[in-house]
Amino acid sequence: MQRNPLASLVANPLAGVFVALLIIFGISALLSPYFLTSYNMSVIARSLAFVGLVTIGQSMLLILGELDLSLGVIGGLCGIISGILMVNYGINPVVALGLALAMGAALGFINGILVTKLRLHSLVLTIGTAGIYGGVTLVLTKGVAITGIPAEIQFLGRGAVYGIPVPFIIMLVVLAIGTFITLKTPFGRYMYAVGNNTQAAKMLGIKVDRVRVAIFTLAGLLAALAGLLMVARLGTAQPSIGDTWVLPPIAASVIGGVATTGGVGTPLGAIFGAAIIAIIENIIVLFGVSPYWQGVVSGAIVVLAISFDAISRRYIRREG
Amino acid sequence: MAFLEVHKVGRDFPGVTALDDVDLSLELGRVHILAGENGAGKSTLVKLLTGADHPSRGTITIDGRDTAQHPDVFNLVAYVPQELNLFPHLSVAENLFIPYDRSDFGGLTIDHGAIRKAAQDYLDRFAISARPTDLVRNISVSDQQLLQIARASTNKHMKVLILDEPTSSLTRTEVDRVFKVISGFRDREHAIVFISHKMDEVFEIGDDYTVLRNGRKVEAGRMAETSEAGLIRAMSGAELELEQNFRPVKQPELPEETILDVKGLSGERFEDVSFTLKRGEILGFAGLVGAGRSEVMQTMFGFLKPKAGSVTVKGAPWKLGDTSHSVRNGMLYLSEERKHHGILPMLSVRENIGISILDETLSKFGISAARERSKVLEIIKAYDIKTPDMEKKIMFLSGGNQQKAIIGRAMATRPKVLIFDEPTKGIDVRTKAEIYKIMKTLAEEGVGIILVSSEMDELRKCSSRIITMHTGKITGDFDAETTANETLVGAIFGTETKNAA
Repeated sequence: MQRNPLASLVANPLAGVFVALLIIFGISALLSPYFLTSYNMSVIARSLAFVGLVTIGQSMLLILGELDLSLGVIGGLCGIISGILMVNYGINPVVALGLALAMGAALGFINGILVTKLRLHSLVLTIGTAGIYGGVTLVLTKGVAITGIPAEIQFLGRGAVYGIPVPFIIMLVVLAIGTFITLKTPFGRYMYAVGNNTQAAKMLGIKVDRVRVAIFTLAGLLAALAGLLMVARLGTAQPSIGDTWVLPPIAASVIGGVATTGGVGTPLGAIFGAAIIAIIENIIVLFGVSPYWQGVVSGAIVVLAISFDAISRRYIRREG
Repeated sequence: MAFLEVHKVGRDFPGVTALDDVDLSLELGRVHILAGENGAGKSTLVKLLTGADHPSRGTITIDGRDTAQHPDVFNLVAYVPQELNLFPHLSVAENLFIPYDRSDFGGLTIDHGAIRKAAQDYLDRFAISARPTDLVRNISVSDQQLLQIARASTNKHMKVLILDEPTSSLTRTEVDRVFKVISGFRDREHAIVFISHKMDEVFEIGDDYTVLRNGRKVEAGRMAETSEAGLIRAMSGAELELEQNFRPVKQPELPEETILDVKGLSGERFEDVSFTLKRGEILGFAGLVGAGRSEVMQTMFGFLKPKAGSVTVKGAPWKLGDTSHSVRNGMLYLSEERKHHGILPMLSVRENIGISILDETLSKFGISAARERSKVLEIIKAYDIKTPDMEKKIMFLSGGNQQKAIIGRAMATRPKVLIFDEPTKGIDVRTKAEIYKIMKTLAEEGVGIILVSSEMDELRKCSSRIITMHTGKITGDFDAETTANETLVGAIFGTETKNAA
């Protein structure tokens, strides 16, 4: 059967979003001479790193047909906890970071258990737990940042290896692991099976609830990791960490070809989506446009991306 | 001049010609059978007839007017799709008349009293037992099916009624209700298009027929002038041995062994079910829709929770309530709800099949793509799954090929017990025969096979023994070869007491 190149591009959303990313990258390089400077590149990479970690977890949840709106506040709360442990209790930073990571995983696990055991819709449930986790942050800090984070961990947020920001490297490692899990392991296949058709997955003997809880836990862990890296970067544990990690990871996933209805997409595509948002936000700054426009632009990209997706899907269906 | 005339119509999609040079003429007061295998182009043609899609060439004339110039004549055509597409959370009456402006109940506010009254007229006419105020999700499947037809007929302009497999999930008595409704429309000078894979129904209700194969019209004429064999020959393009018997033959080298022993199993909608399944046999389960057969199977499989009873597989006690345990230990259930319980729609054929052979394709570096491709290709060949390539999303395959993919996937795990629940629902005659053959081969290889079916013909052709169920209880256990049809039907309707052969 003959297939035209556009059709195969559309049929492979990963290739599609990658091409879109290249085009936007190219246009940005043409538009601004500052864009390709190594300083600017590292700015983009750094900002992509934090939201990227959350995006990897969120995209895996979306593939599963779930959603966790509390990931942002999990990142914030775990950052605060690490700050309290290190500063107020003087606990060894490595131990403190480990405990805070474990706490992120535990908070994600709680979301997963509540969703599966009570058969709640994850959107509704995590609106609730987001309120609780975020509230705890404010109770603990009374809204004030914790300063005096030990210098030895600040490398994790501020350092660079061969000019590449450390958080970005960490994000790439996590992405590689996440991509391997989703595409190359049985667990990854089960994830797609559950996201496609929960009933069929049960009929195949897949422990559906276990898969769900595992991904909620992983997403919580990654959100905590992002929170800790942010604390390391800022040198203070601020209660506002994670405020901007709620909707952008979802938008990035959608742009990157993850269906909100579950079952399709990859974390890699979601990171491409996040990169597109990061570049466009960067270009807005380079052009000196008011940052207040950022929301308008990234919102418009989401609408554009899902319209393109919907139209191309209709095209594929007719072909199929 | 026929009321609806399709002349040399073709429809192209990028890369494929779905229909080519198709003629069809529908006359008022007659039932026209549209026949063809899955993927022959029936649905594409129906879409053109309803105006949902437009031909690439050729003309469609309705009531003497060319539809290309007068698209409004499509409102003379009403279509009832195969899948139920009612609003489950709205009432029967609301479902009948939505959208309200079409049914003269438009305006700013809805007069619920008037709607209920008008609805009752329709319900009486269609012998639907539900009340106008019942929510659709609470009424029976057959009532829903009839309600869909009733809804189509609230279109006062309707002269042509297209029914796509309206009987696929109905029992015989319910089919009779649908047929009565169809005859009523025919007698009131409507043209009816009836699509079904059930040969006996087609010959019972049809006046004329048109056969499509690979997107072309291959034959048309009067039903009275053709035969079942003739029709099947036209659809498949080949002679099929229809009366073939697919009962497994006893293999002398396989020792007699009880694979499955069910004792006093009770659950939601069935109680005290006991039976055994021996190696090398196909055990049929007959009964009306709602007799509890699927529930028994799903409980054994672990999808539903039991209330009491025990299951033994090859002498060892069987853990209930855990599908994962069942699959790992060799019991598989293939649901009648392919869409809801079977396929992973947005994944490729490769991924759909590959998911059950992961332990074979897993290497040190994760799932080996090469190994997976070659294993899946073997299965595609072995089960003759027709797909352009294994990367095609499974949702684009025809129902029959989806079913073969699911069977292939199940077989790759080398199960001990395989439960088929209505495996040929909505599947064309040729593919049916292929599935029967697969079941027979498996049984002869020593896999214990249970076949749940509402088609008596299918059960008789394939089963070694037939167990009948009525309202959640086993009413008999019969030898499939020697028992008379009346005895079986009696047991299904619960009119006869236990009469084991």
